[in-house]
Amino acid sequence: MIEMTRQLLALLGIDNERLALEWVSSAEGGRFAEVVTSFTQKIKDLGMSSLRLAA
Amino acid sequence: MNIEALVDETKAYYCLDCGVCTGSCPVARYSPGFSPRLMVEKALMGKAEDFLTDPDVWSCLTCARCTHRCPANIDYLEFARGIREEALRLGNKGSPAHSGMFQSIMEIQSSGIKQDRITWAKEAGSIADKGEYFYFVGCLPYFNVIFANFPSQPLDIGRNVIKILNKLGIEPVVSNDEKCCGHDMLWNGEVETFKKLAAANIEVIKEAGSKKVIFHCPEGYYIFKNYYTKYFGDLDFEVIHFYDFLAERLKAGELTLEKSNGVVTYQDPCRLGRLAGIYESPRDIINGVAASFVEMERNGENSVCCGTTGWMNCSTCSKEIQGNRLKESMATGADTLITACPKCNIHFSCAASFIEGIDIKIKDLTEMVVSAMNGG
Repeated sequence: MIEMTRQLLALLGIDNERLALEWVSSAEGGRFAEVVTSFTQKIKDLGMSSLRLAA
Repeated sequence: MNIEALVDETKAYYCLDCGVCTGSCPVARYSPGFSPRLMVEKALMGKAEDFLTDPDVWSCLTCARCTHRCPANIDYLEFARGIREEALRLGNKGSPAHSGMFQSIMEIQSSGIKQDRITWAKEAGSIADKGEYFYFVGCLPYFNVIFANFPSQPLDIGRNVIKILNKLGIEPVVSNDEKCCGHDMLWNGEVETFKKLAAANIEVIKEAGSKKVIFHCPEGYYIFKNYYTKYFGDLDFEVIHFYDFLAERLKAGELTLEKSNGVVTYQDPCRLGRLAGIYESPRDIINGVAASFVEMERNGENSVCCGTTGWMNCSTCSKEIQGNRLKESMATGADTLITACPKCNIHFSCAASFIEGIDIKIKDLTEMVVSAMNGG
């Protein structure tokens, strides 16, 4: 499913860096926070998406 | 549009209450609660709200079998489209198939985003940036990703069209800026999104300087021919269906084909047959590529829809329709069911993958033509 979404995003011209899949267990609170924080930071660093720029 | 205006526009007030529409409806056969006749009657009695909030507004296949048979010539198809606009306004959204993925893809395309969708076309043959002929590819690149596990790749249709056009000495424009034609958005009641997509496509074709636009997808052809003109006036280019174009070239002897063995039958797509009146061209081509062609019992204007339209309401009813139709195709004794619409191919391939007792190959007509070009 994630591979399919990657390919669809590529067709739509949306940067694949903006999609991530991570498996986090409910017992790994610290890791969950870490994953979300670093991904949020990454999205901020990437700036506006092509979708936003087109709108 | 309000219901009163819709009744006027579609001449629904001519309804004779004869029930031919419901009797002809493939959905009503498997979902007895669904009745085109009743919807028209309620609209005439000022009780439209009874059905406007009902999910069944979205069950219609818009296959036009009722419209075609109505003795009072009511445009039920346009009625069905109009009530969806109104239903959507009232918050009745229906159940999009595949969790609404297609609708999202169409919406995103209407935003003006820069796609990356023609790598395959450059690999398939010779294409151009500008020129007389424009090949309008449609959704195939997206279908190819979504239905990657299907026996035939949707993009093979696009590759085949380019190969055939190249063989005829035509290097068509295939544009990276082409967008969804808007057909499904229009039938999903999303008129504004449709208009955005249509306006963008008209501009893309204009920029390519093309005067002849070729469609393989019957939906694209039909929507350009009927609704682009309705909303945007006369178009600056000719809208041509690939099979009309190819049938003429075959008649002129511009292409030699070798017939393959085996027995084939043919599914008329609703948009190509009943709605565009193109019955003969695909049959002429089939007769040029297949040694033996047999018709299904219900063919031509009596053909039965492939079971779902506009990526909406794919249900057990759709599967009943598809299974029944596939069995009808097998009853002809054919080993291959030829389709002429990418969606018919996808829907039948899906049903054939899990309905027991289905044993027939499903091939797009372009695939038959390309193998016939290469010697049968």
